[in-house]
Amino acid sequence: MAEILKVTNVTKSFGGLTAVAGVSLSINEGETVGLMGPNGAGKTTLVNMICGSYSVDSGKIEFMGKDITNLPPWKRCKLGVSRTYQIPRPFPELTTLSSVVVSALCGKDRQNRSLDDAFTEATHYLEFVGLFSKRNILARDLTLFEMRGLELARALATGPKLIFIDEVMAGLNPVEAEKAVRLIERSKDQFGVTILWIEHVMAVLMRAAERVIVLHYGEKIAEGSPEEVAKNQAVIESYLGERKNA
Amino acid sequence: MDLEVKRDRLVFRAMGGKWEWGIEPRYWRNPLIYISLLILAPVVVYFVYPALLATVIDANLLAAIAIPLSLMTLGTGRMNFGPQFYIGIGGYTAALLSIHFGLSPGMTLIAAALAGLVFGFAMSPLSIISGGLYYTLLTLLFPLVFLEITFIYTDLFKGDTGLAGISSLVSVGFFSLNQLVYAFISLAMMLIYLFIIDKILRSRYAVQMAAINDDEEVANGIGVNVNKTKIISFVIPAMMISIIGWFYAHYYGTFAGVTFLPLAFMLKILMVIMIGGRIQIYGCIVGGYFIAFLELLLIRTTGAMSPVLFPIILLILLLTLREGLFGLYRKRHYREYLPTLHVRR
Repeated sequence: MAEILKVTNVTKSFGGLTAVAGVSLSINEGETVGLMGPNGAGKTTLVNMICGSYSVDSGKIEFMGKDITNLPPWKRCKLGVSRTYQIPRPFPELTTLSSVVVSALCGKDRQNRSLDDAFTEATHYLEFVGLFSKRNILARDLTLFEMRGLELARALATGPKLIFIDEVMAGLNPVEAEKAVRLIERSKDQFGVTILWIEHVMAVLMRAAERVIVLHYGEKIAEGSPEEVAKNQAVIESYLGERKNA
Repeated sequence: MDLEVKRDRLVFRAMGGKWEWGIEPRYWRNPLIYISLLILAPVVVYFVYPALLATVIDANLLAAIAIPLSLMTLGTGRMNFGPQFYIGIGGYTAALLSIHFGLSPGMTLIAAALAGLVFGFAMSPLSIISGGLYYTLLTLLFPLVFLEITFIYTDLFKGDTGLAGISSLVSVGFFSLNQLVYAFISLAMMLIYLFIIDKILRSRYAVQMAAINDDEEVANGIGVNVNKTKIISFVIPAMMISIIGWFYAHYYGTFAGVTFLPLAFMLKILMVIMIGGRIQIYGCIVGGYFIAFLELLLIRTTGAMSPVLFPIILLILLLTLREGLFGLYRKRHYREYLPTLHVRR
C-alpha cells in the first residue's frame, strides 16, 4: 500500500505550552488508523495542523508525496484532505442540502460541474448518511447525531482521499454510536477513503482500526495494532495513571 | 467553449467549468410585473406631481447603493459601515475630471469606476485581516477621514461648498423632463445592479458566500478560497457604489463631501438594508422607496421635528420587523438557499 500521509517531527506550541512535540507518523492508502490519547494529548491540534487550520512551528507534512506544510486549508482540501469536527460545526443558516453543495462545488476540482450538478451530487451524499428527508431543514435544527451525519456527508462530498474523523462518538447514545461506526465503515468501503479516526472509546478503535497511534502530552508514546496498544504499559499509565507502590 | 439552449435553461461550458441559467418563462411573470410598476412610477409621478421625481431618484439611488452593499456584506461576512466612502471616491473623481479637464460624463464614468476599483482593492485586505468590531470601526472611519481631507485640502476639494460646475448628464430643456430622464437613468442603474447581483446570488458563488458568512474556518476547510471570495465581493460592490457617486456628481452639478460622507447618510443606507429586508437585495428596493418617501413625508408634515421622528420611527421598525419589510413577503417563500445575514458573535 502506498503511503498517503507522512508527518515528520511536527511541533506546535501555544505560548509556553507545547501541544504537539515532534510527532511523526505515516498512514498508508486504504488504512483505518486510530489516534487516541487522554484529554489535552494534542490529537485535535495535530489534525488541525495536517488540515491547515494551524500553522506548523517546525516539521514537515507530506500528502501523497507532496509537501503541504505551508498550503492553506482549501488547497489541502482540493488535494483530498477532509475532516469532521469534534463539536459539530454545521452552517447554521444553510439548509442541510446547501451545506453539502458547498463541498461538492468547492472540494476536489471536477470538470463541467455546475451548481445544479452539485445539488444532484449532494443529494447522493445525503442519502448515504440518511439525511435525504431532512434536506430542506436548516442545519442548526438537526439533532447531534444528524449533525455528525451531515459533517460526514460534507466531508465526503469534497471527494477526499483521506478523512479525519474527530471523536464522532462524543455525546451519542449506544444505538447512535453503533450506527455512526457502521456509517464510517460503509463510507470507507463505498468511497475508498483512508481514515484517521480520533477516538476516546477504545472498543470502537479495537473493532474498526487496523493500527492505533497514542499521544500523551503532545508526544507519541505508542503505535501498533489495537491489541498491542491495549497491552502497552505506557498507554495504560497515560489513561489510568501510575501504580503507587506502598 | 459552447452554449447549449435547452427547454428551460441555457448551459454554458468553458475552460472545464459549467454554468446554467434558468430561462423558464413561468418565473418571469413576477419580475416583469414589478419592473413594469417601477418603470411606470416615474411616468405617473411626472404627470401627477413632478416635484416628487427628485424623491423617486433619491429612492432609486439609495436602493442602488444598498444592493451592492448587501453583496459586500454577504461575501465578506462583515457589515461595512462606510459605503459612502466609495460615493465620495466616485463623486470627487467625476467632479475633478469634469471641472479641471473637461471630460465628458462617459469618460468620468470610466474614471470613477476605475477609482472605485483601485480604492476597493486597496481596502479589501481589511475584510481578511480584521473582523467584528475592528472592521466596523475601520470602515466607519474611512469616510470621516476622507471628509477631513476634503477640508484640509480645500483648494482641491473646495471644503464645505464643494465642487461646482460639473457637466450635466442630460439636458433636454425642461427641468421636470430632465428629472424624468434622471429618474429613468437611476432606475436603470438600480435594475442593472439588481440583475447582476441577483445572478451572483443564484450562482455557485452565493453558496460559498453563505458558507463564509456562517463559518469561515469550516468553509476554508471544505475547499472555499475564502480570501479570494472576500476580495472579489469587496472590490466589485466598491466599484458599483463609486459609480453612484459619479451619478450624484453629474446629477446635481455639484459635489460636496459634507453631503455624502457624514454618518447621517451612512445611517440612511444601512436603514435601507435593514428595514428593507436584512441583506435581501429585493428588500433594498422596498427599503429605498420606504426611507426616501418617509423622510419626505416627515419633512412636509412635521417640519423641524422630522430629524427626531425619523430615527425613532426607523428604530421602532427595526425592532418590530425582524426580517424587514421584504421579510413579510419572504415568510411565504421560505427556505431558499439564498444566503441571509448571520449576525457574527
